[in-house]
Amino acid sequence: MSEITLGARRPVIVRRRRWRIPVTAIPYLFLAPATLWYAAFLVYPMLQSLYVSFFDWDGLSPTMTFVGLENYINIFAVDEVARLALWNNILWTVGALVLPTFFGLMLALALNRRAPASTLFRTIFYSPAVLPLVAVGLIWAWMYNPHFGVVNVTLKAVGLRSWTNGWLSNYEMALPATFVTFIWSHVGFPMIFYLAGLQAISKDYYEAATIDGANAFQRFRHVTMPGLAETHVIVLSLAVINGFKVFDLVYTMTYGGPGRSTQVLGTWMYFQTFQYYHAGYGSALAWVIAAIVLVIAIPYIRRMSRG
Amino acid sequence: MMSDVRRQRRLEQTVIFLGLLALSLIWLTPFATVVLSAIRGQGDLLARGVFSLPKKIAWSNFAEAWSTGDFSIYFRNSLLLIAMKVPLGIFIAALAAYPLAKLRFRFSGAIFIFFLAGLAVPVQVTLQPLLVMMKQLGIANSLFALVPPYVAFGLPFQIFVLRGFFRLIPSELLEAARLDGASEWTAFLRVMLPLSVPALATLCIIDVLATWNEFLIALVLISAKESRTVPVGLLQFQGEYSSQYTLLMAGILISIVPVIAIFIFLQRYFVAGLTAGAVKG
Repeated sequence: MSEITLGARRPVIVRRRRWRIPVTAIPYLFLAPATLWYAAFLVYPMLQSLYVSFFDWDGLSPTMTFVGLENYINIFAVDEVARLALWNNILWTVGALVLPTFFGLMLALALNRRAPASTLFRTIFYSPAVLPLVAVGLIWAWMYNPHFGVVNVTLKAVGLRSWTNGWLSNYEMALPATFVTFIWSHVGFPMIFYLAGLQAISKDYYEAATIDGANAFQRFRHVTMPGLAETHVIVLSLAVINGFKVFDLVYTMTYGGPGRSTQVLGTWMYFQTFQYYHAGYGSALAWVIAAIVLVIAIPYIRRMSRG
Repeated sequence: MMSDVRRQRRLEQTVIFLGLLALSLIWLTPFATVVLSAIRGQGDLLARGVFSLPKKIAWSNFAEAWSTGDFSIYFRNSLLLIAMKVPLGIFIAALAAYPLAKLRFRFSGAIFIFFLAGLAVPVQVTLQPLLVMMKQLGIANSLFALVPPYVAFGLPFQIFVLRGFFRLIPSELLEAARLDGASEWTAFLRVMLPLSVPALATLCIIDVLATWNEFLIALVLISAKESRTVPVGLLQFQGEYSSQYTLLMAGILISIVPVIAIFIFLQRYFVAGLTAGAVKG
């Protein structure tokens, strides 16, 4: 009975046009899966971690004790390892701003001249960047091996026996040695960014500058550098962002040692949270990293959101 | 005068070439070290040094590392993870990038920045709550625990790149599809996605490498051997065989050969994708 009524009331053509989604809702429906996923598995854990950072908690037991800002105060006022870790991060970041960036720019300038085999060179200098950092760390730990490693063997072979070193087991050398590995594995990033940036500078500018009598240095100073302004923002921002996120290399090469001399915020947060079960304190450390990185990333994100 | 300029330029080229050659040899040394250490017996390596050529090539190191290191488990897990994570993540990212690139609606700018900010979020700040969450969901220690954070942390870059690419595709093509009666969904699926295959392929390659290499999240969320991915498994292998240098180097070589192969054969697509959007025009 009801079927007949329905059929009689609705012409076939209307029944085939199903319920229509309001046009204004369509963009949000497309965005919904990504937004929900991102909110559930990135934003929510972030906020949860902020909440936890105000508590004394082992990460397992049901009881959490509210301690206010104590965890944060401890990072800066009490915990010497945390301050050392922050200092190591700053050193690392300054190094990352200067060395791979400079080498990357030099390589890009050299490769941009269409020298013979420049594609092959580009491949070689970029190739370490695609490796898992765990593998990179283990390869270099072997190179730094005090007895059989390539570094000491080479130093002895060229008569620099006095320069040989325990490297990763030496309090003074462990962090610089790890940083050398970082240069090896990361120089490809600034290089390809600068190559892309150089290729976007019109040849006309160079010709005009040459006609006006500019020498090579003046062309670099007044054409190349301004042309790379946008690339500098990207490369330098990424250097700082990644400088504070560093974890894999330190964890695999030195495990924060010898002693705690190579702890960085990323590893110290890991040890506190997952080895010593100080989840509240570890979360505060994580938020110190996040706050630094997010603030420094503002110009980068601005740049990315334009255009 | 002209020939002077030309001669000077040739000299410059030669100096640069030699410099690059020397530097690239230094850059290749770690690779050579791994290979020369992996293909010989331990006694041969320690007695004669890394730089010597092996007396006898010990291919058996690879088979031994593969089986004693349980690399078959780790390879299977990493490949399964890639098969789950990569298509899902890129599809969700494409869905989100489409309206951000082609439709006009309120808050589109704010939503885009909301995603972009994720580029700067350190993994550390989500780890502990993620571990708790995965325990509650009952998937801690399983491969499935890695899919949610991997997808979430991949979205910012992927949405950014796809939005940029989608914007280059002429809106007239979408308009034509709509005039033919296609819904927005059909326009996305039948017009936008097929035209974006180059960008999607590039993102797939980048994402496969990133998933293969990711270490910290896998280290925290997974402790069971059966669920370990290649980087975590490799580190475990190192812990057990740290003084068996030749075996260890064979294991390292096994775990980096796939990414090297992908990079060498597909780098054309790969490198362009990494710098996408970094340069105007």
